[in-house]
Amino acid sequence: MVILGVSYAMAKEPVKVGVISVLSGPLAVVGKGEADAAKMAVEEYGSVLGEKVELIIKDHAYSPGLAVERAKELYEKEKVDVIIACPNSAAALGVSDQAFKNKRLFISTSAGTTDLVARNPYTIKWNYNDYMLATTVGLWGAEHLGKRWYTITADYAWGHDLLKHFTTALKMKGGEHLGNDMVAVGTADYSPYILKAAKANPDVLVLLNVGKDAVNSTKAAVEYGLKKKAKIVHALLFEVDIKGAGIDLFTDNYVAASWNWQVDNPGAREFADRFYKRFGDRPHFMAAGVYSATWQYLEAVKRAGSKEQVAVIKALRNHTFRDMFANPGFIRAEDHLQIGKAYLLRVKKAADVKEKEDFFEIAGTLSAEEAHPSVNFFGRKVGEF
Amino acid sequence: MERGGKPPPLHGPLMDIQFIFVQLFNGLVLGAFYILLSLGLTIIFGMLGVVNFAHGAIYMLGAYAAYTVMEVYSGSFWMAVLFSGIIVGLIGMVIESTLLRKLYDLPHFYNLLLTFGMMIFIEELIRIIYSPIGKPFGTPKEFLGSIDLGFMLFPKYRLFILGITTFLAIGIWLFIVKTKLGSIIRAGTDDSQMVDALGIDISKIFTLVFGMGAGLAGMAGALAAPLQNIYPYMGMSILTETFVVVIIGGMGSIIGSIIGGIIIGELITLGVIFWPPLAHILIYIFMAVILLIRPRGLFGRAKFFE
Repeated sequence: MVILGVSYAMAKEPVKVGVISVLSGPLAVVGKGEADAAKMAVEEYGSVLGEKVELIIKDHAYSPGLAVERAKELYEKEKVDVIIACPNSAAALGVSDQAFKNKRLFISTSAGTTDLVARNPYTIKWNYNDYMLATTVGLWGAEHLGKRWYTITADYAWGHDLLKHFTTALKMKGGEHLGNDMVAVGTADYSPYILKAAKANPDVLVLLNVGKDAVNSTKAAVEYGLKKKAKIVHALLFEVDIKGAGIDLFTDNYVAASWNWQVDNPGAREFADRFYKRFGDRPHFMAAGVYSATWQYLEAVKRAGSKEQVAVIKALRNHTFRDMFANPGFIRAEDHLQIGKAYLLRVKKAADVKEKEDFFEIAGTLSAEEAHPSVNFFGRKVGEF
Repeated sequence: MERGGKPPPLHGPLMDIQFIFVQLFNGLVLGAFYILLSLGLTIIFGMLGVVNFAHGAIYMLGAYAAYTVMEVYSGSFWMAVLFSGIIVGLIGMVIESTLLRKLYDLPHFYNLLLTFGMMIFIEELIRIIYSPIGKPFGTPKEFLGSIDLGFMLFPKYRLFILGITTFLAIGIWLFIVKTKLGSIIRAGTDDSQMVDALGIDISKIFTLVFGMGAGLAGMAGALAAPLQNIYPYMGMSILTETFVVVIIGGMGSIIGSIIGGIIIGELITLGVIFWPPLAHILIYIFMAVILLIRPRGLFGRAKFFE
């Protein structure tokens, strides 16, 4: 009787996965990939605990305020078991606080801030983080690209954070930091900054910015001949920006990444091709992170034999997995950080682009231990449930 | 360091003076865009009393018009600039004669709402037609490379921008000051009812003026396209700075726009060299000081909003 009762309760309650992403406004291109990846993961996984998985996708329009509202709706009204994704660091921090309040899991795959690491027992930081991006650039770059570096940094918390981690990594490898400029987000003409950087005569120019700022700063660097004299490295560079501005602009630039569909992980290429067949584009690393987090969450539910929060989180802790995203990936129990290899990608020449989204080649690989902060780096623990 | 056999970088006062020259010259190019945009904004404001929040979106339309002329109809860059001025000017005339016109007798804030709505409408329309992903726009072939000006190497394309802006600014000034139509516009700026009473069809003049302002913004957008990425929201940040230019120069003043544009371009540049943490807010501090000393701006006259 008892066993029948339990299975009856399970049958009544399928696992519910919530996704918060940006589905309107200028960044909707990125958010669409995340939503598509979540749909694909849930469908391809099939059923868990004998029930089909339910997926609810919400748009936060890149607003932290709206993200918190969406998280409340998902946790309190829809009773989802987990929220995944949520780009925008401020938004993700807000969602993380809601997760703690509601005692339900949040897997942050799309925001870079390291404040999400070891934040609370209900938050897991998946995919890339700011420390990893900046450190990968600094460690690998100082060894392979040159010793004299100049930085141009987006003037807000994210950029400042990247700069801090980048300079630390650079010094570890004996690189020289010639100078830095903080530049307001949305600056259209980067020429005064590029002229300043060119005067310092660096081997490498690092652009700690993203999106249109990455495009416009590169444009100015090309115009004033700095791109010919120095290597350019991006902290983040999206496929959409390469498509938007044309690949010629970025050819031979480098970028740090947690994933690209050409990495040598089991099923990475197949995943990208299935995604392409279904949605018309190959997935970016944020989409891949969402797919992997969704899949591994469902695996953890299966291992725990229940969707009970603490049991699932314990099943995720200290867990090593191999999938299209990470080979291997590991979720640290102490600070809830998912770690994996990090890559330095180089942008191809237009002539070498053989298929859709074939923009990068892998120039370098860093081990998970090198690329990610050590367990006690931030001096926090996830705390008790 | 092996730098391909080049001599080590110069340091000391000579290099610094040269560096500052390059920067100041570059600041003029920055200023050129503010001049083209604020000219349109200020003429429209002076004559129609309309604060045109859609001006940034119109600038963006110019960039997309240039892209379309060049990519789709494989025209030359000269054609692209000319046509984007004409196309966007015509769109401006349609907006004025079908929408704005109905609001002149109502309080100012109605046309604020309308132009603000137009901004969102135009941006979303472009997003739907051309996709939210930007469009590539390389430096036109004619203007690739740099010219040695003696004291520095300067990109040809930026010199071209300086040239064409000077040409347009002088052209507008001559048109307003030397032609009969220009004198009607000036009269209309002072007292449009009186001009109307003199038997001149002021509504046609209004349409023309709005079209001219929009056309200038359109050309600015076309000229900006090779320097930055084209995307549906590219007009947003430059609009704020253009308003600062108009306020510093004096609302409705042509010479104010030109001087204001140069001042803002150079202030941003100097800020970047000497006080980087202040670079972004320097122009606003300057605007506040100007407003304290000359509340109507450098060349503004009593009339507007008074």
